[in-house]
Amino acid sequence: MIDFTLLGELLPVFGQAALRTLVLVAVGMAGGLVLGFAMNAARETGVRALTALYWAYTTVWRGVPFLVHLFIVYFGLPSAGVRLDPFQAAALTLAVYSGAYFAEIFRACWQRIGRGQIEAARCMGLTRRQVFTHIACPQALRASLPLIANQAILVMKESALASVITYPELTMTAGKVVAEQFVYVEPYLLLALAYWALAVLINRLGGYLRRRVAL
Amino acid sequence: MDPNSSTRAGSAPVPMVSMRGVGKSFGSHRVLSGIDLDVQAGEVVSLIGPSGSGKTTLLRCMNFLEAYDEGEVWIRGALLGYRKTGAGLVPESDRGIAEVRSPVAMVFQQFNLWPHMTVLANVMAPLTLAKGMRPDRARAVAGEALARVGLSAKADALPGALSGGQQQRVGIARALAVQPEVMLLDEPTSALDPELVDEVLEVIKSLSSDGMTMVMVTHEMSFAAEVSDRVVFMEQGRIVAAGTPDRIIRRPDHPRLQAFLRPWFRRSLQGSAAAGAQA
Repeated sequence: MIDFTLLGELLPVFGQAALRTLVLVAVGMAGGLVLGFAMNAARETGVRALTALYWAYTTVWRGVPFLVHLFIVYFGLPSAGVRLDPFQAAALTLAVYSGAYFAEIFRACWQRIGRGQIEAARCMGLTRRQVFTHIACPQALRASLPLIANQAILVMKESALASVITYPELTMTAGKVVAEQFVYVEPYLLLALAYWALAVLINRLGGYLRRRVAL
Repeated sequence: MDPNSSTRAGSAPVPMVSMRGVGKSFGSHRVLSGIDLDVQAGEVVSLIGPSGSGKTTLLRCMNFLEAYDEGEVWIRGALLGYRKTGAGLVPESDRGIAEVRSPVAMVFQQFNLWPHMTVLANVMAPLTLAKGMRPDRARAVAGEALARVGLSAKADALPGALSGGQQQRVGIARALAVQPEVMLLDEPTSALDPELVDEVLEVIKSLSSDGMTMVMVTHEMSFAAEVSDRVVFMEQGRIVAAGTPDRIIRRPDHPRLQAFLRPWFRRSLQGSAAAGAQA
């Protein structure tokens, strides 16, 4: 049976952990969005070296499990002289990892813009940069919002792996309660509920933004 | 016009557009060969011919939306798309191309309006972005262009809320607003429902009576005959015949041209027979 007293006791602990997860995801997402946008913009220039960089980045970071990237950043970088605390390592890995997916989302949305629109702009004298900022960006970013919101939920769930490198977010908090108090149902129930609540929150936020920018 | 602006200026005025031996291939498929065509200021030239004959490609070479790979295209005496060097022709920079084609505006079969901008913003964007015009001035110029096509009332609408005919009129207003010296029209009515064709043709006709230089790809034979100074018939990437509408459309003597126009003649005869029966 569920011990509701215990549930009540654990609630503040999980609330705090949920906040840490939220901050980690927010920082990772922000970094990932900037990186993904920059990578797609680089690809859009058509410069061959940048296109190759884009390809390498998106295939390497999407092709290797998040946990493996996290291990390399947290345990591997120190031997290169870069020592990060668990939060920094998790946030950085989350940013670069999600950036690869965001880059691909942006690419898809950029490529959806009709060739004719671009031609019209170019032959009207708009520069490539103006086409990017005035014609492509407003449309592609709108189109990318639902995809970004969906990806954000995946990023949020990947953040559970930060527990492996001892960042005290939700999953690690649940594990700690289990190890110390030998109870399972209540902490894992709270854990699941917390992630679900965060997912709903992200979904709501995405929907709100989408309505705000709708044409 | 400054005769020195052309390297080939004689006593004749410099043509608006001049094509010399222009050829173009997509891979091994040859779509244009040996195109020689001059368009003079104030002239209306229609390009007709079966689909796949290269009309649209020819038009797109005139503003370098399609890079031609043989011959030369000149816009008011300036070479388009390439620079002449000791080693022959080398590709021109984006900026150089933009400068040479700045007197040329284009109207597209699919309108190609920017769907996230209002009608007014569509017409203003080339003015503020490409011409560096101040927004208030651009708004005035764009407003005039919209009035010219009869769409002042739709200035704040999004393109998606307009009919095809209205969208194409916005496309024409957008082209007009930059005050071009040549307008290229690529099948401007082909994507329209039949009942929306006339409003667009009316606008084009009024431009031609204002003396606008136009090159138009079209399947509207009666319209081409009515507004054109010259009609160019193309087949398999070549110009087969060119001349006045009388010689090319109304009384074609070239056998291939006659074959191409036969269905149209049949329809228009039926049309006038029906009109006669009604009268």
